[in-house]
Amino acid sequence: MFKKVLVANRGEIAVRIIRACRELGIASVAVYSDADRRALHVRLADEAVNIGPAPASESYLVAERIIQAAVATGAEAIHPGYGFLSENANFARAVQQAGLVFIGPSPEAIDAMGDKGQARARMQAAGVPVVPGYQGSDDPAALEAAAAQIGFPLLIKAAAGGGGKGMRVVDQPVELVEAAAAARREAEHAFGDGRLILERYIPRARHIEFQVLADQHGNLVHLFERECSVQRRHQKIIEETPSPYLNEILRAEMGAAAVAAARSVGYTHAGTVEFIVDPQTGEFFFLEMNTRLQVEHPVTEWTVGIDLVQWQIRIAAGETLPFNQSSLSQRGHAIECRLYAEDPANNFLPATGPLLTFVEPSGPGVRVDSGYTTGDQITIHYDPLIAKLTVWGENRPAAIQRMAAALRETVLLGVTYNGQFLQDVLAEPQFTAGDIYTTWVEEHFNGWQPPQCGLPPEVLVAAALAQFTPQSAASNEHDPYSPWRMPNGYRVGQ
Amino acid sequence: MHFRYQSGQQTVEVTLERSGDGFRAQVNGVEYAVEVLDRQPGVLSLRFDGRPLTFYWAQDGSRKWISQGGCTYWLDPPAQRASQRGSEVDGSTAIRAPMPAQVRAVQVASGETVERGQVLLLLEAMKMEIQVKSPAAGRVNRLLAAAGQTVDRDQLLVEIGE
Repeated sequence: MFKKVLVANRGEIAVRIIRACRELGIASVAVYSDADRRALHVRLADEAVNIGPAPASESYLVAERIIQAAVATGAEAIHPGYGFLSENANFARAVQQAGLVFIGPSPEAIDAMGDKGQARARMQAAGVPVVPGYQGSDDPAALEAAAAQIGFPLLIKAAAGGGGKGMRVVDQPVELVEAAAAARREAEHAFGDGRLILERYIPRARHIEFQVLADQHGNLVHLFERECSVQRRHQKIIEETPSPYLNEILRAEMGAAAVAAARSVGYTHAGTVEFIVDPQTGEFFFLEMNTRLQVEHPVTEWTVGIDLVQWQIRIAAGETLPFNQSSLSQRGHAIECRLYAEDPANNFLPATGPLLTFVEPSGPGVRVDSGYTTGDQITIHYDPLIAKLTVWGENRPAAIQRMAAALRETVLLGVTYNGQFLQDVLAEPQFTAGDIYTTWVEEHFNGWQPPQCGLPPEVLVAAALAQFTPQSAASNEHDPYSPWRMPNGYRVGQ
Repeated sequence: MHFRYQSGQQTVEVTLERSGDGFRAQVNGVEYAVEVLDRQPGVLSLRFDGRPLTFYWAQDGSRKWISQGGCTYWLDPPAQRASQRGSEVDGSTAIRAPMPAQVRAVQVASGETVERGQVLLLLEAMKMEIQVKSPAAGRVNRLLAAAGQTVDRDQLLVEIGE
């Protein structure tokens, strides 16, 4: 086992990895930018190295500085966490070239999954279903033939582009030729390239992913799914396992596909195979593979009883997985809510500020992975994740109730965050019914405002009492200017 | 003791009067019996009309944040209100930052004529970039942002006039 590991990340995930190191008897080295000088991950680590100014491009993304810090402190391995350099094959290669261990998959596996076109072809070859699509001649007859194969509704996309330009949903075969012509004009105008892609359009698709774990000795298992369909701006906000959608047959099929996907690129370590699922037909399609630890890994840990971060480190150190697929099962239900510094009533735009008070919820089955404590600053430099709240319950309704209680118990003052919004989502009948899909939040919570119950009288009274106590009044008894001596004195808004 | 608070459009008055071990509180003409059960820095437990309730509070400048039962409230002193916004001055349109951010680029110059929907600035925060567009056609009367500058939410960036 390693004696010292450098954690090339910040926030809650750096804290999570430092804790895992400590539990394994490994010394941890934190790295930090100027903005994170006093951050929680720095305070918790055994050593900490400054790697540059606040912008990530000048600190957390500078591979050379991180590798230098590892060499200088005598760390033997680097854990990249998620985001930043975690899926950068060149970084993984540079770490190895410096004689250190990269705690993650091989650079070749990262590369193979990183190129979306290449990954799609590999998955097809490995028998993993991909979204039916067509890219070829734009001749109307060819398009019609391809469309008939793909089925309707389908999506027309610009081959060169993104951002929705040239994108069209076609519901009926008769609309195809005209829609393609319009999309081509728009794509030519926007990108100077009118080539089109046809793809199956899956309305109300669900995002369901499978956790995989593989050691360096050929053992590869999946640790079941995570349902991640509650998203805003294509970013997950609530994740859970088991998925309320999957039955045992589909779960087994998708699990086998995830294992096949990972095996086809010689995958080792923890990774996640993402699928989109058509709730109408039950078909599932490979979306991409994340070759790293996932933000929402705690829900898997809760239900499978395996510490994923510890196993990442053990696998890197050459240990063998002591379990196989048939010995794995899930127990109960786990849900994660991401506490984001953002304003759901203002298009989920980021919010910043000082964490004046942060009280984490606690109790049976409640886990908080936090990157901040009271007194810390949330800045514009890094992502808006303040903390992850995960709960375990005997079943889905119990887990939802526990999460609702934990959200109510959370106190976060000084920064606008999404706590109230998450409570509203959990209470929505469509959520409790498990009828969720990736565009659900957009469709259902458009224009959301916090429930306007006005200001309850007890809150106003507490505000007034917060400053003035019988004790402070008593001690001011001889002060002629004491507010307690002025029966009609106004203390405006203090 | 009288207190006045502002929250959004509302101004509310609270009156506290000592009564035995506790207080008689009045909000909007309704009376409540209040007893302080416990008090720690930033934490206040009350018996409010018989109900035990715990409040967390913190002060940020003149703004007071209070949390109870999973809801967060903030209260401002009433005096602040007039100076807070005022988006239309002399028929000109004030364009404010929709979020705290760093100004990535300024795409107009002072005195320039702009069209409705034209991108004026790019802002970036937490890995997210947004375009600030002109809500009206007109002339850039004042340009108060420069590339690289950090701005707060609601900070005035540009004034567009006739």
